[in-house]
Amino acid sequence: MACLHDHSCEEHDCSSDWSLYKHIDLSKVSALNEAVSGSVKSVFRAWEQRLNSSEGHLESNEGDPELIVFIPFTSDVKIKSISVVGGADGTSPAKMRAFINRDGIDFSDAQNMQPVQEWDLVENLQGVLEYQTRYSRFQSVGNITLHFPENFGGETCQIHYIGLKGEATQLKRDVVATIVYEVMPNPSDHKTRAETGGGLSQVE
Amino acid sequence: MRNGDYFPNRFQAQADVVNLICGAKTQSNPENTVGVLTMAGEGVRVLVTPTSDLGKILACMHGLEIGSEMNLAAGIQVAQLALKHRQNKKQQQRIIVFAGGPVKYDKKVLEMIGRKLKKNSVALDVVNFGEEDKGKAEKLEALVAAVNNNDSSHVVHVPPGPSALSDVLISTPIFTGDGQGGSSFAAAGGVSGFEFGVDPNLDPELALALRVSMEEERAKQEAAAKKAAEEAAKQESGEHSASKDVTISENANTGMTEPENKTKDQMDDENALLRQALAMSMGDSSSAVATRDTEMSEAATDDHDLQLGENLCLLAKFHFLTCVLFSFVFSLSSLTIRSDVVHYPLCLYLCSILLMLLVIFLQYCCFP
Repeated sequence: MACLHDHSCEEHDCSSDWSLYKHIDLSKVSALNEAVSGSVKSVFRAWEQRLNSSEGHLESNEGDPELIVFIPFTSDVKIKSISVVGGADGTSPAKMRAFINRDGIDFSDAQNMQPVQEWDLVENLQGVLEYQTRYSRFQSVGNITLHFPENFGGETCQIHYIGLKGEATQLKRDVVATIVYEVMPNPSDHKTRAETGGGLSQVE
Repeated sequence: MRNGDYFPNRFQAQADVVNLICGAKTQSNPENTVGVLTMAGEGVRVLVTPTSDLGKILACMHGLEIGSEMNLAAGIQVAQLALKHRQNKKQQQRIIVFAGGPVKYDKKVLEMIGRKLKKNSVALDVVNFGEEDKGKAEKLEALVAAVNNNDSSHVVHVPPGPSALSDVLISTPIFTGDGQGGSSFAAAGGVSGFEFGVDPNLDPELALALRVSMEEERAKQEAAAKKAAEEAAKQESGEHSASKDVTISENANTGMTEPENKTKDQMDDENALLRQALAMSMGDSSSAVATRDTEMSEAATDDHDLQLGENLCLLAKFHFLTCVLFSFVFSLSSLTIRSDVVHYPLCLYLCSILLMLLVIFLQYCCFP
């Protein structure tokens, strides 16, 4: 389901709605089949910058237009709608499938699994189209995986911008935050009494 | 794989390198895991699923048999599957292939496999050794070129030669490729900076003895290898099966560092050299240098230096023994000091003196 953004943006500030990009954990964003490793991080920007892809865009490998984008969040979010700006000349993605709260999905998993929701996209070079989600299913999203299986006939699949609209709750999914554990013993962490100047040990 | 063009034979050389690599990977980062699978034989078999326990990995290398042909495509696919089901999804995926036998797939198939690996961001390292036939090197180059993304995958061709497979590989990107951990391993690794791992300053006689026996052994080996090469050239259809071992190592999340243990290799080198020296001296019938003391005096060897070395070793051993005995007796006497029995330690002391005299006497008997 696509909704046309049919009001001019002077009346209210659209960018505040599309502010979920602030809650994305950018260091852990990853993509599969990207031509340039790490380029996926450049597609998450503010709404006003959605057409400004001077920092690069996400492109798939030559001859293979499939892409998977894994987006983890810093806290649980509710996603209302998604906007995707693709490339010109048939390089825009034609379909989008979303999976929620699943780690490590690769292409064979994505093709076999039933997505939480699936959309047919159209070429959206101006970024005015948004695709609504079935909101009830997108209530507590810790991470989302977007799979773009096809494009409009180009050699590669290009994505210039991905926008997410919704609300962020302040909850975090797994709270294993500040536990420090040792995988290997580090002698400098374990000072014995002798080293710190303790007395002679007595053997009775 | 029984061919002797890699010392001692291809299979053993491969096993050594696998052990080395597993050690290096597990040492460089505690969150790395490594698994091993074989490609030839009845079918692809996963010997050990990815684990960070080096003992398990080394244990699984025992009892492997050579047989049949290697199935490269199936091996890589199973490896990919094993990696996919790793426990820690944040680890990066890498496959290391030891291709000892011929590759029966054509280039197109291998390139397709390579592209699929690249798509799923799996890196691939290939060690090309053993059989060289019909464009095997080109096929493997094409495979790695298809997988390669930003220099993460490598192919190394190792022709047969005098140096061990592990020595050749230690300097390649396969060991050092992931940056920090690998290079420190290589530096601290099997070569401790001294020849034979023995410091000539600490123990000159031992170093000398080892060096001399090593040179003689090498001369013999080269003569034997020449003969083996001639025979191998005669039987062409012979070897095929390789057992491919796929080690699957992974990086921790953002850190990109990987480390673990390897002291075993250094010890192995030393032991192997000592054994060689001993075996050489034992096997040489004309020399009759035995390790038993009573025969030392009657030994007549061609190599005077070797005998000197042996003698000095034994002398050192004797000295050590006497010191031990002496200290033992002393400690015993000190333990039994009691105020009311004054003469007791005194007679123990006298006994120890007697013992020492006895041992010195024995020494003089053996070394006139």
